[in-house]
Amino acid sequence: MTLRSLLPRGYLFTVLGITVGVAGLVALGAMAERITRFIDGGDRFVLGQISVAGEGMGMGTGFTAGGLLRAAKVAEIARVPGVAAVQPQVMLPLNTTTSQFLTLTQELVLGLDLSAPTPNRHYRELPVRAGRFLRPGDRGVVVVGADFGASRRLGVGDRLPVGGIEFAVIGVLEKTLTAPDRFAIVAIDDARELWLRRDPLLVQVFGGGPGALSRGDLNSGAAVGWREGEDPDELARRIQRTVSGVNVTIPGEVSRLLRDSTAFFSALLFGIAALGLAIGGLSLSNTVTAAVFERIRDFGIKRALGATDLQLLREVLGEALGVSLSGGAAGVALALAIGFLVDARALRQGQQLFLFSPRLLVFALAFSVILGALAATYATLRIVRLSPAEAIRRGT
Amino acid sequence: MQLRAVALSKTYRGPGGQPVPVLAGADLEVKAGEFVAVMGASGSGKSTLLNLLGLLEAPDAGEIWFEDRRVSHLGRRVQCRVRGTSIGYVFQSFLLISGLTALENVLLAARYVGRDRRSAEVEARTLMARLGVAHRSGHYPAQLSGGEQQRVAYCRAVLNSPPLVLADEPTGNLDDDHARVILAELRGLARERGASVILVTHRADTAALADRTMRLGGGRLELA
Repeated sequence: MTLRSLLPRGYLFTVLGITVGVAGLVALGAMAERITRFIDGGDRFVLGQISVAGEGMGMGTGFTAGGLLRAAKVAEIARVPGVAAVQPQVMLPLNTTTSQFLTLTQELVLGLDLSAPTPNRHYRELPVRAGRFLRPGDRGVVVVGADFGASRRLGVGDRLPVGGIEFAVIGVLEKTLTAPDRFAIVAIDDARELWLRRDPLLVQVFGGGPGALSRGDLNSGAAVGWREGEDPDELARRIQRTVSGVNVTIPGEVSRLLRDSTAFFSALLFGIAALGLAIGGLSLSNTVTAAVFERIRDFGIKRALGATDLQLLREVLGEALGVSLSGGAAGVALALAIGFLVDARALRQGQQLFLFSPRLLVFALAFSVILGALAATYATLRIVRLSPAEAIRRGT
Repeated sequence: MQLRAVALSKTYRGPGGQPVPVLAGADLEVKAGEFVAVMGASGSGKSTLLNLLGLLEAPDAGEIWFEDRRVSHLGRRVQCRVRGTSIGYVFQSFLLISGLTALENVLLAARYVGRDRRSAEVEARTLMARLGVAHRSGHYPAQLSGGEQQRVAYCRAVLNSPPLVLADEPTGNLDDDHARVILAELRGLARERGASVILVTHRADTAALADRTMRLGGGRLELA
């Protein structure tokens, strides 16, 4: 069976028109999906753990941006009723130049204390695409996020120099379309070493005597998990009340703040989706309606040969289904091709602009078929109101 | 089938909305097996008369009877059925569907009346062979000559053996040889099959082949 035999003759331009409309819809939808995934990913992360940092403003970056969280404080937090696990972390910007500092697309070095279980309920394990994740006792090795690795063409076995230390890449994460895509994850002791090399001032405060810092005190924050049945916001407030000298983020509040701060993106997202629907929908329905009206003479002839309104409608709907589905599928294919080409270029800067989720593709196909059928029905009902003679006259 | 049209009237609207009367009480009776020609000047309403008789549009007034059935006042759906089973049309401009092959165009007549496709196809191929267009069955209308297109259109008109055949200037776009073929077929329909055939023409030599010639003028029909 050839494409020609599936498509009614003379529908090529109709299919092309639908293709362009659906491609626009899918491409704009994929950009909206990308932004949604980014925002949702961040939201899921902050709702999955309580983040704690030392009081004040320190070198620590990322989600906590507080001062040092010393080992004694970590232990104190672990004793708060309701706390299930505390994982000390070090989060450093990979590149400390101001242009990179605290941007949404910042690349980070994340040092994890692997002796503690990962407390984040939504990210118990980061999915690994190649190689393996870090294990307790690992040193000098790194697991890189998908974009981090792709922008540097890193694979398992490659070397990654960071701050004068050579790391062996042992794993590459699956794409999450959120923050971990830009992470280089190392053992916390390696991250502490990097931190010390970058901030000589810290070295000076290492020394003897009471109150002196040890390496175990070098934490930019900690992720705190809660016991089953515990209200995370309530636990965060409990930690705030019972442990002095720490900054505690309340998951619910952070989530709300994150949503507020991304309100612009949400509005943009809505605009993109509405624009995609309007452009794609108008293009598709206009193309199908015009295609049916163009054949007004044929419908007149068919009615002269005895076709009833229902028979004509069934025939037109069948054709509209074939044409809309073909145009929809071609539009999806075109959007995918454009998206992959653009993303291949964007990935060199560690970016991804499109997310072609299955729900988007199914929606685009269903949208084109349903709208195509509605447009065809509307046009057919307009035509069958005419007498066969009038339809033939108008179409001749 | 006996056809009877009583006091048919039809008025169109002109570009400025002014009424343009075309038929004003036209009467016609055609017996089964009769071949009737209708002549008249351009714009006299010949095609309109055929459209009304063929239920392609509704008269403003008057009635159309097939035997003892008043078909002009039937519902839309039943009229569709009558058109498909009882009436065959041959138009001057052929009116073939460009996206269908010659054979598909012929079979279109069978599609809407629920005929078995296989037997209809056998009959269509036989008809096309008799009219000398079987070798063109897979061709699209644009690939056919005018004579071939009219023969295909004729096959489509008679595939269901309708008791009434309406031909609107069927030879207007044909050369003499092709015109003779179509006219001979129409005569044969009336003589051999007993169909009522109404032929609209402006040529006296064509009308002369009919059993009876009517002249349309001033919106009425008179024996020529």
